[in-house]
Amino acid sequence: MSLFLAWFLPVVAGTASWLIVNPRRTAGWLSAAFGHGIVFGMLITAAATSLFARNDTQHAMRSAGSALAIFAALASIVAWRRMRAVPIDSVEPIRAVRTNRVVSFFLAIAFVSIAWRLWIALREILLRPTFPWDAWDAWAVKSKAWFMLGHYVPFVAMKDWIATSGPDSFTGVAWSYPSTLGWIQVWFASAAGGWVEPIVNLPWFALWIGLLFAHYGQWRALGLSVTRARVAIYLFASLPLITVHVALAGYADLWVAAVFGFAVLAWMRWLRERDRGQLFVFVCCVLLLPLLKLEGAVWLLLFAIVAVFAALRRPWRKYVALACAALLLIGLALGKLILPLLTLGWVHVAPHTIEVPVLGPLAIAWHSGAFGGTLRTLFEQPNWNLLWWVAPVIVVARWRELRDQESLRLLACLLVICIAFLMFLFLFTDAARFAESFTAINRLVMHVVPALITMLALLLRDAVLPEFPGTAPASDPRSNPA
Amino acid sequence: MIRRCLCAVAIVIAWLVILGWSARLAWNTPPFPHDRLTLDANAFHVVMGAGVEDGNALRVGSVGDDGNALQTISLDHVKAADFPILRYHFDGFPQTLEVSLVFRRADKPADVQAVTIPWAGNGWTSLDLRTIPTWTGEIVELGFAEYATPQLVPPSIAFHPFRFDSAELWSPSWRGGLAALYTSWFGYTPWALLSVSALGAAVATAETPALMPSLVCGVFLSLLLAAVLLRWPRRTWIGASAVAALGLWITLDIGWLADLHAKHDLTENLYAGKSWQDRERLVPDQETAQAAEQIKTFLSTQPSQRILVASDANYTMLRLSYLLLPLNVAPMSPTLGAAGNVTLPEDCLFVLYENSHWNYDAASGALIADNRTIPVTPLFETGDLHLYRLRSATR
Repeated sequence: MSLFLAWFLPVVAGTASWLIVNPRRTAGWLSAAFGHGIVFGMLITAAATSLFARNDTQHAMRSAGSALAIFAALASIVAWRRMRAVPIDSVEPIRAVRTNRVVSFFLAIAFVSIAWRLWIALREILLRPTFPWDAWDAWAVKSKAWFMLGHYVPFVAMKDWIATSGPDSFTGVAWSYPSTLGWIQVWFASAAGGWVEPIVNLPWFALWIGLLFAHYGQWRALGLSVTRARVAIYLFASLPLITVHVALAGYADLWVAAVFGFAVLAWMRWLRERDRGQLFVFVCCVLLLPLLKLEGAVWLLLFAIVAVFAALRRPWRKYVALACAALLLIGLALGKLILPLLTLGWVHVAPHTIEVPVLGPLAIAWHSGAFGGTLRTLFEQPNWNLLWWVAPVIVVARWRELRDQESLRLLACLLVICIAFLMFLFLFTDAARFAESFTAINRLVMHVVPALITMLALLLRDAVLPEFPGTAPASDPRSNPA
Repeated sequence: MIRRCLCAVAIVIAWLVILGWSARLAWNTPPFPHDRLTLDANAFHVVMGAGVEDGNALRVGSVGDDGNALQTISLDHVKAADFPILRYHFDGFPQTLEVSLVFRRADKPADVQAVTIPWAGNGWTSLDLRTIPTWTGEIVELGFAEYATPQLVPPSIAFHPFRFDSAELWSPSWRGGLAALYTSWFGYTPWALLSVSALGAAVATAETPALMPSLVCGVFLSLLLAAVLLRWPRRTWIGASAVAALGLWITLDIGWLADLHAKHDLTENLYAGKSWQDRERLVPDQETAQAAEQIKTFLSTQPSQRILVASDANYTMLRLSYLLLPLNVAPMSPTLGAAGNVTLPEDCLFVLYENSHWNYDAASGALIADNRTIPVTPLFETGDLHLYRLRSATR
């Protein structure tokens, strides 16, 4: 019963919260609400647990559960009232084709294959003690300590722990990592009645489901036909490294990827529809990124730059961009470039070093070995199936759509900046060793993968494909809430 | 019709070129090996573990005290360059074990070369030895070592009896090269700590050209040949390319699903049908878990203290720290390094496990390393596990 409640309350709270800010029943609304609801629900639960269960973590279900239940109930009422007040509509007419039997047959097989990997991932989580290195070394340390102690204790830097702090503070190699996921684990450990790692790791399975449903729903709302959205979901779900991060649960990267992807989806809808609910979701998602993983602070900064740029009037953009580039270059040349990163602090960039709080100084120099490692990891290893082969081809083939649609141009701009940052990090700094050893590069690349797939899906939204016999114009998608 | 036949022939040739390049084969490599050196398993000596002859085969029934089984055979100065393909045949080889190729060279007879090789499932497995840099000179001894897959399989339940049938060394050939390529591309690889960061072969075959670029090149060349020879219009070429890309994606996905399923089979074999209490104990580092339990039991009646953990292997040190939670633990060398010369608090304990870095000097009653001397009192000691208490504040 407690396990049921541990899942029921977050899903209701998250789904209701989504429906409060997005009450319109556009194409895919149900899927989007459920998918976002699962993920946001778990994040709301983390907040509730950290607020109300600090002094009694082993009974977090009791202490935070009541607050969460009240929130879920109130949110449901408000969501219901908001939905009743909004008529069913569709954002824009969708030019779609009715799926013929051959395509339906292949889609059915594709979904069986998704169900199969979901089942394998679920079994892996339920059977195995926490396996991957950082899962037990970094991400589960705080939650395990807090839960088993029965209360919260602060984690401090090693030198403070040994030199000045009392014995009631803890430390570890990941003392500075955000605690959001740790609080989710505390909640589920409390529901399990002990530190039962399969239960504690189950949120990663729910995250995957939420990720797929949310993307499907938002893609539909953004104008993808049912068939194309489903094909895109299959391609997304079949990315091997995504499956691995679910099956070998415990890393924060899939969470960052999900929230980054959600932010992009909401941003796209804001740019196209000027829907304030989507703008609110976008802002929430972007602000959440640094609370999931330290690298999220970089994504927040880059998102903020591109979003502010997008909000500028068109004549101003060129001048602002030139002014910013000039300021960056001057700051870099003088060695006095300082960038603010939420949760990390001030990053000092000089021509030969970058000083990042917590991480320390990173020397800037070209690492040729890392270039080979980067190519191998993207184009040779099976981590991303054909994604990195196909992406540039689609961009070139659909160049006109990219040029003509402002929202896609801005998304491409964001992705180019993010990928440029990753390439700079792994090719020009000491982090190159993580590309040479394949240890971190893919996990950071994963953060932008859902957003990349969104861009590719939107680029192919109106692409004319070879017609199959029996294809006919679709019925009005407005009547289809799937 | 002639054009279509010509196109089919051209595509077949293109694929042969790509496969040959991937398998590092030259156009004049013979289709079948000229020389084969067959090594029947019953001629191997059991160096570790226990095994009995079974016809020409060898039944390996147990591992040695250190958890390893090893079978070797002496060779009469076989030139490594003449035999670049190794084939081995096991029957009932458990998924829980990893296998290494062990060999000695005439120029360095005291050095044992050991390389992890692809898992020996049922039937023949082939390996291109040119991917192993040390496979040079003259080989005077060759063998196979089997042991629990490190960092994945609990050693206590890893071993199951199996039969080693035979091994063969082949001279270069298309058959041997393609068989090795097949193993490299489609052979089973277990979950590894690296799996969350990158998938792909982490064993000797890692140097073999990967599957994906070869397939992409093959498909692209095939499309190009078809477009040129069959005079496809642009629209047909684009349509065929889209279908081919989707087909290739699905093909790679089927391969990944098969790999995922094989990886998961091991998890089912290890953990299915057991309670969480049992599974919790079945961790790959059972000895570390036992050490953590011993420390927890010893300290269960003591007030909370700060514990600094040291071990030679980073993995062991971090695992022990995690398993010791909710005790207040920290890695010893990084913490002391970060702290500088501060006075250590009096509640400090030191856990040394499988450690050779820090030495306890009984005469002075101190732990010594890194130009640092820490006066301590021994509290507890068993095997590789040592627990000390700080004797007084120190600098």
